[in-house]
Amino acid sequence: MSLGHHHAWLPPGHLRPPDDLHDARSANGYSRSFSGARTPQLRASADADGLHAGTLISDADLATDDDPRIAMFRDLYKRSEAQINTLFANQKSAEEAARSAVPDAEEPQTKGQRAEESAPPPAPAKKPARKLDDDDYDDYDDDDEDDDDDDEPASPPKPKSFGTSHNASGLPSPSRPSSGSISVVIEAHKEPKKETLEEIRKKLEEDKKATEEAAKRSFHTLFYTLENDRDAMLDQQRLEESERQVEAEMSGQANAGNSSNPNVNGYGSLSSANLGASSLTLKNLIARIDMKRTMVQASDAELRSLMSEVRKNRSKWASEDKIGQEELYEAAEKVLSELKAMTEHSSAFLTRVNKRDAPDYHTIIKHPMDLGTMTKKLKALQYKSKQEFVDDLYLIWSNCFKYNTNPEHFLRKHALYMKKETEKLVPLIPEIVIRDRAEVEAEERRLQLAEMDGADESDDEPIMSSRGRKAPGKSSKKGAAPVRNTPSGSEPPAAQASQPPAPVRSDSDTVMDGTQNGFATPPPGGTQTPSDPAGVGAGVQGSQGDAMEIDGLLPSSSNTLTALPASGVESEDPEYKVWKQVTKKDRAVIAAERHRLFKGDKLNPDEPALLRTKAGMRRWLRNQTQINAEGDKARESTAQGLDPGAAGETLAEGIEVDEDRVIPDYYDVMSGVPDLPPHLSWKEDSDGNIVDASEEFLRVLPSGSFTQPDSKLSRKMDANMRQMQETRKVCSKIGIVKQMQLQSQMYQNQFQKYQPEPFVEHDVPAHVMNDGGPVISPWVCKAALQRSVAKVFYHTGFEEYQPSALDAVTDIASDFFQKIGETLKSYMETPKLPATDTPEPNTAPQWKRAYTEPEMVLHTLSSVGVDVESLESYIKDDVERLGTKLSTAHDRLRSLLSELLRPALADGGEDGSNAFQDGSEQFIGGDFAEDIDEDFFGFKELGLDREFGLATLSVPLHLLQNRMYNAAQAQNTSAAQAVTLFPPPPAYPRITSETLSSQIGLVQGFLGAKLKTNNNEPLVEDLELPPKQRPTASRPRLPASGKIQPPSAPSGVTTSPQKRPLPPSASSQQPASKLGLSEPSKKKVKKNSGAGIGASDSLAEGDETILSADGAKASATTDAKPNIADERSVDASDPSGKGDMDAGPDGIGMEGTDHAVPLTNGTAAGDAS
Amino acid sequence: MSTDRTPKYRQEIQQMMFVSGETAEPSVETTTLIEEIVRQQVVEILARSTALATRRGVRSISTDDLIFLIRHDKAKVSRLKTFLSWKDVRKNVKDSDDKGGADAADFAAADDPIAGGVVAGPQDVASKPKNKRARVGLAWDVNSFYSVQVPEREDEEDEEEEEQNYATLQRLAAADERTKHMTKEEYVFWSECRQASFTYRKSKRFREWAGFGIVTESKPNDDIVDILGFLTFEIVQTLTEEALKVKEREDREKNRRGGADNGEDSKKRKRETGLFDPPEEGRTPVEPKHIREAYRKLQATPNKNIAMLLHNGRVPARMPLRLI
Repeated sequence: MSLGHHHAWLPPGHLRPPDDLHDARSANGYSRSFSGARTPQLRASADADGLHAGTLISDADLATDDDPRIAMFRDLYKRSEAQINTLFANQKSAEEAARSAVPDAEEPQTKGQRAEESAPPPAPAKKPARKLDDDDYDDYDDDDEDDDDDDEPASPPKPKSFGTSHNASGLPSPSRPSSGSISVVIEAHKEPKKETLEEIRKKLEEDKKATEEAAKRSFHTLFYTLENDRDAMLDQQRLEESERQVEAEMSGQANAGNSSNPNVNGYGSLSSANLGASSLTLKNLIARIDMKRTMVQASDAELRSLMSEVRKNRSKWASEDKIGQEELYEAAEKVLSELKAMTEHSSAFLTRVNKRDAPDYHTIIKHPMDLGTMTKKLKALQYKSKQEFVDDLYLIWSNCFKYNTNPEHFLRKHALYMKKETEKLVPLIPEIVIRDRAEVEAEERRLQLAEMDGADESDDEPIMSSRGRKAPGKSSKKGAAPVRNTPSGSEPPAAQASQPPAPVRSDSDTVMDGTQNGFATPPPGGTQTPSDPAGVGAGVQGSQGDAMEIDGLLPSSSNTLTALPASGVESEDPEYKVWKQVTKKDRAVIAAERHRLFKGDKLNPDEPALLRTKAGMRRWLRNQTQINAEGDKARESTAQGLDPGAAGETLAEGIEVDEDRVIPDYYDVMSGVPDLPPHLSWKEDSDGNIVDASEEFLRVLPSGSFTQPDSKLSRKMDANMRQMQETRKVCSKIGIVKQMQLQSQMYQNQFQKYQPEPFVEHDVPAHVMNDGGPVISPWVCKAALQRSVAKVFYHTGFEEYQPSALDAVTDIASDFFQKIGETLKSYMETPKLPATDTPEPNTAPQWKRAYTEPEMVLHTLSSVGVDVESLESYIKDDVERLGTKLSTAHDRLRSLLSELLRPALADGGEDGSNAFQDGSEQFIGGDFAEDIDEDFFGFKELGLDREFGLATLSVPLHLLQNRMYNAAQAQNTSAAQAVTLFPPPPAYPRITSETLSSQIGLVQGFLGAKLKTNNNEPLVEDLELPPKQRPTASRPRLPASGKIQPPSAPSGVTTSPQKRPLPPSASSQQPASKLGLSEPSKKKVKKNSGAGIGASDSLAEGDETILSADGAKASATTDAKPNIADERSVDASDPSGKGDMDAGPDGIGMEGTDHAVPLTNGTAAGDAS
Repeated sequence: MSTDRTPKYRQEIQQMMFVSGETAEPSVETTTLIEEIVRQQVVEILARSTALATRRGVRSISTDDLIFLIRHDKAKVSRLKTFLSWKDVRKNVKDSDDKGGADAADFAAADDPIAGGVVAGPQDVASKPKNKRARVGLAWDVNSFYSVQVPEREDEEDEEEEEQNYATLQRLAAADERTKHMTKEEYVFWSECRQASFTYRKSKRFREWAGFGIVTESKPNDDIVDILGFLTFEIVQTLTEEALKVKEREDREKNRRGGADNGEDSKKRKRETGLFDPPEEGRTPVEPKHIREAYRKLQATPNKNIAMLLHNGRVPARMPLRLI
C-alpha cells in the first residue's frame, strides 16, 4: 500500500474508532513521530534487547522488573513478525519490501494499511511493557476487537478488510485458525493506543504510590501525634456529608435517565470501576462477529442494538440517547471525587459559600461554584462537554482567588493546590461533546448515504466514527487535531468531515464504553490537555510535549518527597506534610471508628467493640518480621534470608482482602500483640517440661504490712493498754464487791465477768502480688488506719467508740498524713542545685539535692506544726509517764480491792474458806459448841453427822459464807461446773388427763381436780419450777410483829399447792419464774400483818428522804438542782406511813422476800426523817 | 457597755506589772491597753467555756470547762490545780474551825489568787496536817479512766507536777532575787502588790467588767470567779514579761545603733546593772507599743493550727483568738 493508502486508512482504521483510540491515535501520532526517530533503534533492537529502552519511555521502572515477560513478548513479537512476513510474502511481496524499508515494517498489518502504521510498530514493542503491569489486557483485547469490530462493519468493502489491522492477515483468510498467535499480536498492537491514557493515569497513581511509599519509609523516622486525626476525620465527614447531600438531592430530582443502574462506582479510586468481566465475555463474541462480519446478515444498527441489549453492567451514566455521556461522566465523576477526596485542601470548596460566612461574596463573585454543586450538576446531567466541566472546576479556584485577594490568605493556598491537582487530573477526561443519539444517527445515515458513492476512505469513516466518542472528542479538540492531523497529511479535512457520521454506530460505542470504563477514563492525548502548553505546538512538538509531560510526571514520582511539597501550599515540614496527606484518609477512618465509640463524653456501651482484623494482624506481623530483619541486618552485615515468620503469615494471607493502609502501626491499636515480659514466655527445659517462671515474680505480700511495726514505742503502748485492761479487771472486781455490800440479794448472772482479751493485731490474709509495689487497697488501708486510731484512742483512755467518731477521726488522720506526704514530696522534688564545688567549667555540672533527707523531714514537720521536741515529749509524757501512772493506779486499785475484801479474803483463799483461821470461826461455825455441849445444833441427833460424814459437829463453813462463796464461784466459773458422776434419772412424765389413769386411785381424784382447774393442761412438777417458786422454798418466817401467829391462821406455807398449774408460757421458764416470784410473796405479805407492810413501805420512803436530805444540804452550797431538792424535801416532810399507799405491789414483793435488811434500814430511815 | 469604758483596774494592773518585773510606773495608756486585752481574753474564755458547757448539756460553767480551755499549757494547768487545791484547803479550814481570825487571815494571804500557794503550802500542810489538800481531778486524767475512784495515797510524789511547776518556781526565784535586798517598807509594798487581783473582794466590779450575764450566766460559781482571777493575773503577767522582753530587745537595738552615734551613751546603757546605774525608777516604763508587740507575738498562729490547710487550703482571714 502506498502512502495514499495510508491516508485512506488512517482516519478510518485505528485512529477513528473510539475516542480514546483516537486519542491513542494521536498518541500514536506523536509516538509514531518520535517512534520514527526511534524506529531505527527499535528495529535494531528488534533483534537485540535494546529495543525496550526506547519503548519504555514512561515505564522505566517497570521495564526492569518485568524482564522475563519482556523477553517473552519479544519472543512473541518475533514470531508474529515472522508469521506476518510469511503471510505477506505470499500476498504482497512488494508491500513487504516497502515495509521492510520502512522501520515499522515489523508490523505488517499496520504497514499495509496506513502511513501511520509506522506508529503502530513501536506499539508492539511498547505493549509488552504495558502488558506487564496491566492485569487486564482483556480490555485491550476488547479494544482491539472493538476496533476490529469497527473496522469490520466498515470494511465490508473488501480491500479494507485486509487493511484493517493485523487481522488483515486473519481476515483475508477468515477460516484461518492461526488467529491465536495473531491475536496476541493484535493485542500488542492495540495497546499502545491505550497506553498513553493508561500511562498518565498510571503516572498519577505511581506518583501517589511512590509518595506513599516514601512516607511509609519515613514513618519510623518521625513520631506522629494524633492531633490531626480529628481534623482529618472532620474533613472526611464533611466530604461524605456533601456526597450524601448531593445524593439525596439528586435522588429527589428523579433522574430516571441515569439512575437505571444504581451501582455507584466508588469515587475513591479511579481504577475501581472494573466492568471487565461482562465485557470480557462480550469481547470474544464481538471478535467472532467481526471476523465473520461478511457472513452476518444484519445491519450495523441491528447488531448494535443487539449488543446493547445483551450487554449488562452498564454504567449509571449510560444512556441510549446520549452519545458520549457515559465516558465523559465517568471520567468527570472520578476527577471530581478525586478532587473532593483531597480533604486536606478541598474541604473549603465542598459546599456553597454561605452568605453568613461571607456576606459580600455574592457581590464580588457573580458565578459561585463549588464541588458539591458540580456533583449535583453532574448528576443532573447538566454537562454537555468536558469543557463545561473543566470550566466549572477552574471557576471554583478562580473564584477563590478573586474573592480572597490577600495573597497570604490560607484559602488561596488551598485553591492553588487544588488547581494544580485539577490540572493534573483534567487530562484524564476524554474530550467529548455529548450529542443526541438521534442527531448522531441522522448524521450517520447521511454519511452512509455519502459512503455509498464515496471512496473507501469514506467507507471506513463510519466505522471509525462508530466509536462515537471519537467524533465529539475531535470536534472539541483544537490543539490535538492539528497535531494528529499533521502526520496524517492530507487526511485531516477528510477525517474531520467524516467524523460526524462516525458516531452512528453508537451501540458498538457503548460496548467500548463498558470496557473502557473498566480500566480507565479514556486518556486524552497528552498534548491535548488544555493546560498543556506543548499541545498547541506542531505535531512533533506536541508529541514531544507529551513525552515531556510523561517525563515530567516521572521524576515527580521518583522523587516522591519533593513531589508533594512542591505542589503543597503550606510551609510545613515537608515530610510531615507528606505523611499527613498520605495517611489522611486512613487516619480519618480510624479516628471515626474511635469516635463512634463515644457518645458525648462517655463511652457508648451500645456501640460494638472494635475488633482486630486478620489483615491488620497480618500487616503487623509483616512489620514485625521486617523490623526483625532490619535489626538483624543492622547487627550482622550479611542479611540473613531466613524469615521464620513468613511461613506463618501465608496462612492468613488471602483470607481477607488486605486493604492497604498507609499508617504507622501504632495507629492501629487493634492489631498487634503486646510485648511479652520474658518471664511470661513459654519455656521448656531439656525434658520438655514447661518451666514455670511465674514463681519468680509472683510473691506473697510480706506479712506485717498492715500491722503495727515492732518498736520500743509500740511495745510501750501495748504494755500500757494491757495495764489498763488489768486495772479494769480489778475495777470490775471492786465494783462487784461494792455492789455485794450494798445489795442484799444476788443472782448468779448478775455480774458479767470482765475478762478482756489482750489486743492482737491481725494481719491481712496471705496475699499474692505481682510486683514490688505497695498494696493500694483503699479499704484495707483505711481499716488498718482505723485500727491504729482506735488503738491510740484506747491508749488515751477510751474503752468504746462510736463508729462515726472513729470514722471521722480516721478521715482527719488520713488527711493529715496526706498533707505530710505532699509536703515531703514537694521538698523532695525541689529542683536540684548545682554543686558549688566544681570550679572547672568543662566538666559536667554536678547536681545535688536542695535538701538533705533530715532537712526534708524537719522542714516537713515544722510546716505541719510539729517538731522533734513535741514528738519526744509526747512519747515521754503521754506514753512513758502514762505507763507509770497507770501502774500506780493499778497498784492503788489492787490495794483498795484487797482492803475491801479484807474481812473475807485477808488471808483466805479465793472462796474465803480459810478466812476464819484466826480462831474466830469457832464462834460462827459453832466449834465452841463442843466445849458447851456435844451436840449444840442437834446434828448428831438428826443423824446428819453420820449421813454426811461430818468430822465435827459444827456448821460447814461454805454454808455459812455461801454468799461470798457464790461470788467467788462466779469469778472463776470453772469451779461452777460440777461434774455429774451419774446421769440423772429420767424425769417423771407430766400428769395429763391421759396419764391420769395410770396413777394410783387415791390421788386420781385430787389430780383430776387439779387438772380441771388447769384446763386439762399438763401439771407441772415442783421440781421443774425454779427453786424460789417451789413451795418448800418458802420457809416459815417471823412476822414483823415478832409474834408467832397461831397455827389456826391459815398459813400460805401449808396450803401452798403441791402441784401448780403450768403458767401459760410453759416453754419459757424465765418469765414464769418472775411472775411466780412476785405472786406468792405478795400473797404472803398480804397474809402478814399490815404493820409489816407499813414498816417496809416507810423504809422505801425513808431511803428517799435520806437522799433528799443530802440533796437539801447540797443545795445549800451549790445551786445545782434546787427544784429537785425542794421536791424531795417536800416528800420527806410527808408522814412516812402515808407512803404505803403508793408503794407498788412489786416493791412490796421485793421487800417481802427478804425482811431483815429492810428492817434495819427502816430504823435508819426513821432516824433520818 | 464598752462604749464609755473607763479603766477600772489601773491600780491592780500596775501592781501586777510591778510584781511581774516592771519597775517603772506604766502610763495610763499602757494599763488601759492591758485591761482591754485582759477583758477581751476573759470574755473569750467565758464564751468558749459556756459553749463547752452547753455542749455537755449544762447551763453553768464548771471548773473543768475552764481548765479544758487551757489544757495545752500544762504548767498553767498544774498551777491552777495547785491554786484550787489550796483554795479548797482554805475553805475547809474556814468551815471546820472558825477558831481564830489569825489563822484565817494567814490562809487568806496564802491562798491568794497570786498562787503563792506553792511557797506557802508546805508550811501550812506541815502545821495543819489534818487539812489534807484535795487533789483536783481532771476528767482526762488517768484516774478517771476507771469506773472506780482511784484512792489517793500520801506517799506518792507527783513528779509531773514538780516538772510543771518549773515555770512557777522560776518566777518565784526571780521574785526572791528582787526582794532579797528590799527594805521592810519596800517588801510590804511588794507583798501588797502580790495580792492584787481582779476578783478578790471585787466580785461585783469584775462581774460588770467581764460582762457576766451577757456572755454567760449572771451568777457563776465562786470557783469560776476565782479561777478567772487567777487566769487574769497570769495574762497580765505573761503580757508584761513579753512586753519587757520586747522593750529590752528594742533598747538593745537602739543602743547598738546609738553606739555608732555616740559610744558614750551606749556604753553606759549597756551596763544595766552597773554600780553607778541610775536607780530603777529612772528606767522608762513599758509603752503601749511594747504591749502591742507582745500581744501580737502571743497571738501568732502556730503552724500546727493550720497544718490541715496546707496545700490548696486557704488560711482563714481571721483565726480565733488565742488564749494567753
